Amino acid sequence: MPNLANLFNHGLLICLLIWPLSSLAGNFAAKVRYAELVESPEAYSVDAKIDYQLSPTAREALQKGVPLSWDVLIQIRQPGLLRNSVLYSTKLSYTLQFHALLNQYEIKSPSGETEMFLTLNAALNYMALLHDATRFDIGLLKAGYGYQLAIKTEFNRERLPVPLRPVAYLDAQWFLSSDWFIWPIQK
Amino acid sequence: MAYSKIKLPASVSIIILFGFVLLSLQLMSSATQESSQLSEMYSWLLVINTLGSIILLGLVAVNAYSLVRELKKKEAGSKLTTRMVSLFVLLALAPAAIVFYFSVQFLHQGIDSWFNVEIDRAMDDALELSQSSLAQRMNWHIKQTRQMAEKLQDKSESSLALEVGSLWPDSGAAEIAVFSNQGHILASSSANPSEILPHLPDEQIWLQLRQNKEYFAYDPGDNDEMLARIIIPIQSDRSRFLQVLYPVPVRVTDLADSIEFAFIRYQEMTFLRDSLKTSFSLILLLVLLLSMLAAIWVAFISIRNIVAPVKELVKGTQAVADGDYQQQLPVMSQDDLGFLVESFNQMTRRIARSRDETRAAGLEVENQRAYLETILANLTAGVISFDASFYIRTANQAAYRILHIPVSHFVGQTLQTLTTKHGELAEMLNTIQRLLEKADDIWEQRIVFLGPNGRQELLCRGTPLYLQNGARMGAVVVFDDVTDLIQAQKNAAWGEVARRLAHEIKNPLTPIQLSAERLQHKLSKELQDGSAEFLQRGTRTIVQQVEAMKRMVDDFSEYARPSKKQVERINLIDLIQEVLALYMQSGIVFSSSLPTGRVIVEVDPVSIRQVLHNLIKNAQEATTAQCRVEIKIAKVIRNNAAYVELGIYDNGSGLNAEQIETIFEPYVTSKAKGTGLGLAIVKKIVEEHGGVIWVDTSYNAGAGFVLQLPVFEFGNSE
Repeated sequence: MPNLANLFNHGLLICLLIWPLSSLAGNFAAKVRYAELVESPEAYSVDAKIDYQLSPTAREALQKGVPLSWDVLIQIRQPGLLRNSVLYSTKLSYTLQFHALLNQYEIKSPSGETEMFLTLNAALNYMALLHDATRFDIGLLKAGYGYQLAIKTEFNRERLPVPLRPVAYLDAQWFLSSDWFIWPIQK
Repeated sequence: MAYSKIKLPASVSIIILFGFVLLSLQLMSSATQESSQLSEMYSWLLVINTLGSIILLGLVAVNAYSLVRELKKKEAGSKLTTRMVSLFVLLALAPAAIVFYFSVQFLHQGIDSWFNVEIDRAMDDALELSQSSLAQRMNWHIKQTRQMAEKLQDKSESSLALEVGSLWPDSGAAEIAVFSNQGHILASSSANPSEILPHLPDEQIWLQLRQNKEYFAYDPGDNDEMLARIIIPIQSDRSRFLQVLYPVPVRVTDLADSIEFAFIRYQEMTFLRDSLKTSFSLILLLVLLLSMLAAIWVAFISIRNIVAPVKELVKGTQAVADGDYQQQLPVMSQDDLGFLVESFNQMTRRIARSRDETRAAGLEVENQRAYLETILANLTAGVISFDASFYIRTANQAAYRILHIPVSHFVGQTLQTLTTKHGELAEMLNTIQRLLEKADDIWEQRIVFLGPNGRQELLCRGTPLYLQNGARMGAVVVFDDVTDLIQAQKNAAWGEVARRLAHEIKNPLTPIQLSAERLQHKLSKELQDGSAEFLQRGTRTIVQQVEAMKRMVDDFSEYARPSKKQVERINLIDLIQEVLALYMQSGIVFSSSLPTGRVIVEVDPVSIRQVLHNLIKNAQEATTAQCRVEIKIAKVIRNNAAYVELGIYDNGSGLNAEQIETIFEPYVTSKAKGTGLGLAIVKKIVEEHGGVIWVDTSYNAGAGFVLQLPVFEFGNSE
């Protein structure tokens, strides 16, 4: 099967060449500006700021009534030799939608409450901060160990209308997720 | 075997495969509906179907590659498989491609037909109408709120509560509240008594309030109702704000929601127009790909199954062509091809059986032929068979022994061609040829000829061979060398004669001799001189003749008496030189070519010395002038045995043909004196020593005799 093997090798090479180009094209990805663990006497909470960006296509889709959803993933990890173990994990879902009648932007927060905003920037600024009691037991982190706070926001393509989903996986205009932001914690 | 037992039939596997393909496609089709619960699995179904297509494409590619390799190797059935697969692909692909093309066309046209300018305008107008209605209501509420704010100007904090309570019944508001610029509630009144605290503005509203001095917007309220929230400053220094929440009638809210939902839906569809086309086209393409690839793969399997018996038949035919008649093909099905394979198996079985029978018959014939050959080879009689054109077909070993011609020289030759190579046999061969050509029935003939070993007499019997239809197919000649037999008969006859002579003649001779001597003795004194002298001459003659007759009878007795040999190993050269030394004074000129070294023979020296004496005397007596005798000795190999060949040649008168025939018979002589037993005794002695003697007919300068004796050592040993 030498021909099939050659075909496979060529295909792999093309994919490897295209992958970095598509990453470069995806300059609409969200960015986690900062994240930190806030300690209180009873519990820990997470504070973070995330800059969301909308590509022209995503902005147009929003204006046309397509709801856009992000999942903010928060993990407390303990570094290991081979792989990190996840001690705590949670997901905060945000949905942004435009109301044409009121000409307002609605954000459905993780708690299920909705907030209306007159401008898109106001809505994105609202989403930039975490709006949930992201609190976990203070006994989770032991003294003398190193931990990591990992946070990322992931654009949920599966909440898009069905016809858009295949395109969203291939088009850089829909690469709106951020990378993992890792914040070391030393106890 | 276990695997074959649990292996599913191809048809069941194919049905299961198509079931999976159809199920997957149905799931993906259902998932395209937003309302379907499967819509969440749409991406996975798309990936699964794409992977399925890739796997099927790989299977088809592997099968196609395998087929190309078989074609290159020119394997049996590969061309038929290629033709059938190509035909199937062409027949399946063409209509599927046409259906796909027109389906995509209809799909695109159908999606495009959902949108047009009128609906666009209608949707925009409806939205604008709704917005105008809400804006008008908002403007009226703003005006109403401003009037309330004027009434509340310059009111003290203690009187605010009463004033707000007086404003509420006429305003129709759901809630009226006054709060400071720090957000402290100064006074409030609500249509719902259970709500103690008013709906204070959040941070976003405060932000806009500080920027714009006023705030008015529709907010979603509880229980899916909509509220118009209006906040305006009461004092010019903006230290107090009046917030009034006006409920929007449910009917208005429902209508607005309905219009907004339709507008948003239409806008979304407009935005997804191209995506919809792409998505549906992709699904159609996947359906086509999965269906076609699955069909082509199944076609490969099915066609291979169909062609398999044909391929086996081709291999089987090749095996039969190569001579392998044991070929039995598996009957894979009970259809026409199965019947064909069964017929092929029957044919090969019959061919194998016929081949075995033919082989057995051939073996039997071969055994018979070998048996006959063995018999012929061991016959003492020579047997030669001829075809219809008198070409020799077979000859046995006895023929070689008798005629001294190798069998390989016989076969494929005619007797005429043999005469050119073997001139000494020409007369005999020509005689047999004449008899073969003339005889129509069994014939028998004694043929005498001078062969290389002297005179030979053959008893020949010929039988012409005929086919069943009477045509002549050849002849068989059986011949036996009766030379020795006839010679033995002659020797026995002469021995009997000698014995009778000794018995009947020698016995009366002694009384005759004694009577003659007594007559001489008694009467010589009584008779006168003349008569006495006559008597004396007469009796002397009688005595001399009786003596001569006695010697003759003794010679016969000697010839007839069995030999009493004292055999020992001697050097024949020494013996010859001894004999020649005796003739040194005889006047015979000897010339000899004797080998160096010894020639050891196992003989009775007295008998061999007598042989040499007899032959040399014969030469001396046959020569009138100066007698010359040449003696030659050579080594010959005959029938894988070594012999010494001794030739004695004289320059006498030689022998004619008649003499040559009878020279070794007793009482045959050309001399005036002699008993004619000399050469007969020589021949007897030589044969008693296992040798032979003959007249060298090729020598014409006189008489030449050649004798052969077994030799144990010949020359160059010392």
